[in-house]
Amino acid sequence: MARMKFLCDADRCIECNACVTACKNEHEVPWGINRRRVVTINDGLPGERSVSMACMHCTDAPCAAVCPVDCFYTTDDAVVLHSKDTCIGCGYCFYACPFGAPQYPKVGNFGTRGKMDKCTYCAGGPEADMTEAEYVKYGSNRLAEGKLPLCAEMCSTKALLAGDGDIIADIYRERVVTRGYGSGAWGWRSAYGETVNV
Amino acid sequence: MTLTSITSRALAVLCLGLFAAFALPQIAEAQQINPTAESVTEESLMQALSGDAQVQGRVTIPDGLSTGVIKPGNKDWAATLGGPVRIVTILSVVGIVAVLLLFYMVRGKIRIDAGPSTQRILRFNSFERFAHWLMAGSFIVLALTGLNLIFGRSIILPLFGENVFGTLSAWGKLAHNYMGFAFMLGLVLAFVSWVAHNIPNKLDLVWIKQGGGLFSKDVHPPAKKFNAGQKVIFWSVIGGGAALSFTGVMLLFPGLAGGEAGWQLYQVIHGVVAAILTAIVVAHIYIGSVGMEGAFDAMGSGEVDLNWAKEHHSLWVDEVQSSGGKSAGSAKAHPAE
Amino acid sequence: MLVKRRSSTAARGGLQALAQNVAARPVDRRSFLRTSGLAVGGLAAVGTLGAGTMRRAEAGPTDHSKPIEVKTNICTHCSVGCTVKAEVQDGVWVGQEPAWDSPINRGTHCAKGASVRELVHGDRRLKYPMKKENGQWVRISWEQAIDEVGAKMLDVREKSGADAAYLLGSAKFSNEGAYLFRKFAAFWGTNNVDHQARICHSTTVAGVANTWGYGAMTNSYNDIRNSKTIVFMGSNAAEAHPVSLQHILTGKETNRANVIVLDPRFTRTAAHATDYIRMRPGTDIAVIWGIMWHIFENGWEDADFIDQRVWGMDQIREAVKAYPPEEVERISGIPGETLKRVAQTFATQKPSTFIWCMGGTQHTVGTANVRTYCNLLLATGNVGDIGNGANIFRGHCNVQGATDFGLDIGSLPCYYGLSEGGWRHWSRVWEVPYESLQARFDAVPAKGGRDARTAKENMSVPGIPSTRWFDAATLDAEDVDQIDNIKAMIVFGHGGNTVPRMGGALEGMNALDLLVVADPHPTTFAALHDRTDNTYLLPISTQFECDGSRTASNRSVQWGEKVVEPIFESDNDYAVIYRLAERLGFAEEMFKNYDMVEGKFGMEPTAESILEEINRGGWSTGYTGQSPERLKAHMKHQDKFDLVTLRTLDGAPEEIEGDYYGLPWPCWGTPELRHPGTHILYNPNIPVKDGGSAFRPRFGLEREGQTLLAEGSFPVDSDIRDGYPQFTYGVLQSLGWDSELTAEELATIQRIGNNDPEAMAKVSWSLDLSGGIQRVAISHGCVPFGNGKARAVAWNLPDPIPVHREPIYSPRPDLVADYPTREDGRQFRVPNIGHTMQASAVDRNIASDFPIVLTSGRLVEYEGGGEETRSNPWLAELQQDMFVEINPADAEARGIADGGWVWVRGPEMDSKARVKALVTERVASGVAFMPFHFAGWYQGEDQRGNYPEGTDPIVLGESVNTVTTYGYDPVTGMHEGKVTLCQISAA
Repeated sequence: MARMKFLCDADRCIECNACVTACKNEHEVPWGINRRRVVTINDGLPGERSVSMACMHCTDAPCAAVCPVDCFYTTDDAVVLHSKDTCIGCGYCFYACPFGAPQYPKVGNFGTRGKMDKCTYCAGGPEADMTEAEYVKYGSNRLAEGKLPLCAEMCSTKALLAGDGDIIADIYRERVVTRGYGSGAWGWRSAYGETVNV
Repeated sequence: MTLTSITSRALAVLCLGLFAAFALPQIAEAQQINPTAESVTEESLMQALSGDAQVQGRVTIPDGLSTGVIKPGNKDWAATLGGPVRIVTILSVVGIVAVLLLFYMVRGKIRIDAGPSTQRILRFNSFERFAHWLMAGSFIVLALTGLNLIFGRSIILPLFGENVFGTLSAWGKLAHNYMGFAFMLGLVLAFVSWVAHNIPNKLDLVWIKQGGGLFSKDVHPPAKKFNAGQKVIFWSVIGGGAALSFTGVMLLFPGLAGGEAGWQLYQVIHGVVAAILTAIVVAHIYIGSVGMEGAFDAMGSGEVDLNWAKEHHSLWVDEVQSSGGKSAGSAKAHPAE
Repeated sequence: MLVKRRSSTAARGGLQALAQNVAARPVDRRSFLRTSGLAVGGLAAVGTLGAGTMRRAEAGPTDHSKPIEVKTNICTHCSVGCTVKAEVQDGVWVGQEPAWDSPINRGTHCAKGASVRELVHGDRRLKYPMKKENGQWVRISWEQAIDEVGAKMLDVREKSGADAAYLLGSAKFSNEGAYLFRKFAAFWGTNNVDHQARICHSTTVAGVANTWGYGAMTNSYNDIRNSKTIVFMGSNAAEAHPVSLQHILTGKETNRANVIVLDPRFTRTAAHATDYIRMRPGTDIAVIWGIMWHIFENGWEDADFIDQRVWGMDQIREAVKAYPPEEVERISGIPGETLKRVAQTFATQKPSTFIWCMGGTQHTVGTANVRTYCNLLLATGNVGDIGNGANIFRGHCNVQGATDFGLDIGSLPCYYGLSEGGWRHWSRVWEVPYESLQARFDAVPAKGGRDARTAKENMSVPGIPSTRWFDAATLDAEDVDQIDNIKAMIVFGHGGNTVPRMGGALEGMNALDLLVVADPHPTTFAALHDRTDNTYLLPISTQFECDGSRTASNRSVQWGEKVVEPIFESDNDYAVIYRLAERLGFAEEMFKNYDMVEGKFGMEPTAESILEEINRGGWSTGYTGQSPERLKAHMKHQDKFDLVTLRTLDGAPEEIEGDYYGLPWPCWGTPELRHPGTHILYNPNIPVKDGGSAFRPRFGLEREGQTLLAEGSFPVDSDIRDGYPQFTYGVLQSLGWDSELTAEELATIQRIGNNDPEAMAKVSWSLDLSGGIQRVAISHGCVPFGNGKARAVAWNLPDPIPVHREPIYSPRPDLVADYPTREDGRQFRVPNIGHTMQASAVDRNIASDFPIVLTSGRLVEYEGGGEETRSNPWLAELQQDMFVEINPADAEARGIADGGWVWVRGPEMDSKARVKALVTERVASGVAFMPFHFAGWYQGEDQRGNYPEGTDPIVLGESVNTVTTYGYDPVTGMHEGKVTLCQISAA
């Protein structure tokens, strides 16, 4: 089984936000929920780099550790998913997540959070694959269709890589060797406890 | 993650903006600006993070919480929640139950030494009782739903399954969010009602010296409306309740909490205070119910047995009776059981 | 609160195994959408449609037996030309998949491309024709709309002449739509027809065409993969052309190429440069001459190339002596050593390519800027080969095509001039008498001290540029060189906020007798003004709702197939132009060559038949080989093209074998000739039949006693081994090659030449409707248009050798004295008083009251005027406020906080704009930047209520053009969009 990961090659990322709108498009994600976002570090200064960030589908995911209702589970592809039926919108996972991935619709009064929504790695949720029930709650299930997450597939400069961790690490490593520079596998240390050494 | 580290984290977050400004060469100074060569790297930014700061940047969406791209400190909070907070909670709740059990076995139910009298005396009027029960009722809901967040997934989930647990927890969260406000109201009412009676005085020292008479028969240190033990409960509830209320409001309105580190700090405080206060309240419930004969009536009907009152609140009884018996009991209405 | 146990099926089995389910169980996203309400959130809440409104098509209950159909079209935003794969079920566009096979985008998109599906959900689209009645928007039928618009146009024509109607077209048209609109203008009888190229690359087209022949990108996005040095000047491709960065960054990585960005702003493109150089806005000529000063000083020029292929470089060598390093630093702020480094890198680490965009073109010296860029390329021998060239990134999805098809005040389709020869050529193609077209034009009386002109003369006089239409509507009629002012604006697919001086545009809109906006969205043209009547909105569909071809920036022509039927009551350009022509009485003549089919509301021409007519007439630009069949075959076999060379790979099907992807023009001869198209212009290193060519000798044969034909340079396999002029029948005769013409070809030439030998001899490669002359020339390895030299000096233009000229509103009055703008004059039927304006600004000490240079540019999320993209919730969410970038020092001095509201004030008309401050080092102290996609607020006033209900874009904001100012390029009428002055204060 593949161990799915994301890797954003910030030396390629131009903050074009294709990943963001591809995600919105694929899953009909509503306004205010950003499963993926692009953060620009040192904005406007030489050395500026943009990083596309979403759920990294961590090894030993901290969200799962703090979830009071244990709604997270990890698939055989190492994708961290959750059940919106169980989720109570407590917000703990947001504060446990090193990447700001969990999102909550604002419902009811005083900032009450609705059920958490986050990047599914285009792998749906607990419902049967590619069903309407799954789509309504989690969006489409591209992984079940044999496709990779659309954000990475549509990345304008092929900065955002998705796929088996070893393979995308190899692609990244090769790029760094070819071009002679690399700002690193952003978030890998926090997510996977390792980085891509070149 | 300790509480001090959480505090330092809050500070670190505040400082981070400054850090970013100083970390890199400015455009005007450089001879050749080679943005490729000058690129920030993940490694250098991660190493430069002090305390629990985040790797941050600018986003175009109007969501301040989304500017942090890597926040390694969040895993520390997750560890705190799963470690210290959980342990404190277990120790507090399990510990107090164990202590009370032991106490009960040793001391048994504390009886009225003089036996029940036929006279009753009004101890808490309906307003006071309303305040108490508003607070007590909401607290019980809050405590149970709160405890569910710590223990639920290890106890209720395996026992009753996802269906029951999910439904329970969802309603529990709603209840917790709304009951908080009832608790806060009760807390204010209780404070207003009783604060005057809870100012510590010299008598309390005597009471404490004698252990409140809890541990031996026929020892009844003098007390006014509230004895030192009750004052401890009062101030614990007021203090702890205020802390819970404040942190609870912060948790409900994350926008007020001063960023993620602030929220996390409040969450840890909320959890720890809740655990300790829950333990205190469990003790209080014990002594007010099965632990002591006659005590429950004070908050039940509001009228207590005169003998009980004389034993536990001798000075208060004197005060009431000398003030013209306006709180005189109604033996007819409530014959002794 | 229903809770389901996570099912065991959730465990992921083998992906391949599960993939088999796809076809059997299609996912119907539309019905998901309906039941979940997921699409509706926050600001995106959808207004309910009025009763009786035609709803867009929606899928019924999910029917798993129905397959998903995949349609192929092209993104409708920028000019890169990304293929879009649309999954359609039950007539509803349900999903977008990566178009892996496209050699241009290889599956990828930017934010805009990845969200195009929303365009045909279109909650904010204009849903039916509307008109303003007593200040209220009312729904009307198409019949009523066409009838009333037609009647009012005829009324205007009656009172004020044909020129009083301004036909503003669009770079969003398909090629066929653009061509049809130009033809419509010809049949209506005016040259007042324009589109967005005016405001993006008109100066590029003029400058480049005047240098070496054609006004287009010489190479391609893909070819930049071969470059060793890549210079961006006034181009922020990372935001404006994101997918191009895929090729550029790959090239940068694999070649370890130098990426040099010259820009006043540290752009997202600059962030990936190896050398970023900040310059003062509007000093391009000084900077380039400064670079060339070092090149000549150090002998880094390519002497062989110059000798063989360039005329006039000696004059340039002399001219740049006036730009020594100290002077260039005084003007631009760039130290001499920095430019020396650029010069050496560009001249010696070849191949080098030079990329420019609006930062170079939108100036009073835009055309001159462009010619300096060309000179830098010519001096270093960096044109006409792999990895080099002038890579001009065009703006809109079909701005190249719309330019090619003459949506232009100064030309006919395919750059045929407005001279009698050009008109006669197209009247032959259209099969209408030249005289009948001439009769449609106004005869202009003498006025304002100017001579009268006959209809025939008027036919050859360029119209009014789109940057000046409102001046032409509001100036004294004496000052406008036509019968009357502009009285009617017919606007197809063009924003109203894209040209400076919005205050003037507002007055212009109010002054019109008729305003018609034909667009998927109401646009600023519908919302800015105070008009109460005579204002019409016609809902036009997007290019996803019709068939047609579009030309990407690299000249590749791509066919887009209709994805879904036009939504709501919208209809496509072809149909609407047809109905309007019908009402105006010339449809029968105009559409007689087309296959007419039943459209949504009536008859419409097929895109294929329009393209075939283009093929029959587009000889001058090589738009003749791109038949619908060939284009469709290319789209079908996208995977058979090489990523770098764009040529077919081994084993490609016969129908495309040997072609370059999209048959980039010129694709000579008839489709049957099977010319492969031209990937790289002016490249003599390959045979003409394989896409080789040379510089086009279109400026005569000699100048100042020197030849203008190439010397010793010619395409591989050429039978003429030197320079030569363009091919005519006469040239063929003198070479003895006329015998190679077929009988049919000769007959056609005879017909064109009226059987008069003298006239026949003049029938050229571009007038020969048979394609015979082109065919014969190519068979001898010759370029039909000849083999000439590029011109370093364009003697027919203002400033034949470009000189630095300060912007109208310069922050440096001291430099205005040395480098003033050109004298006032009259161009394009209106006065250009730039010099007066500049002198007045200096006299009034404007630079001290307005000390900050204001420049503008694109954001990746939005495009053009932005009405369409700001209506798309997936994009709008990402940029919710108009802003101004201001340097921290300037912000601090003004007490401005990041994210706070500020007033940006301009130096004309007391203009002001209320926007948010973005405090950033991205701009230097003394420079501010504003994006140009916003509208809907005007000088602090929210105009949301001016849009018809439910059609207001989600995000509104001040337009930068509220505060931009006067200034026009004398060659094309291009506005000064990149340099003005402003003052900023906290609001």
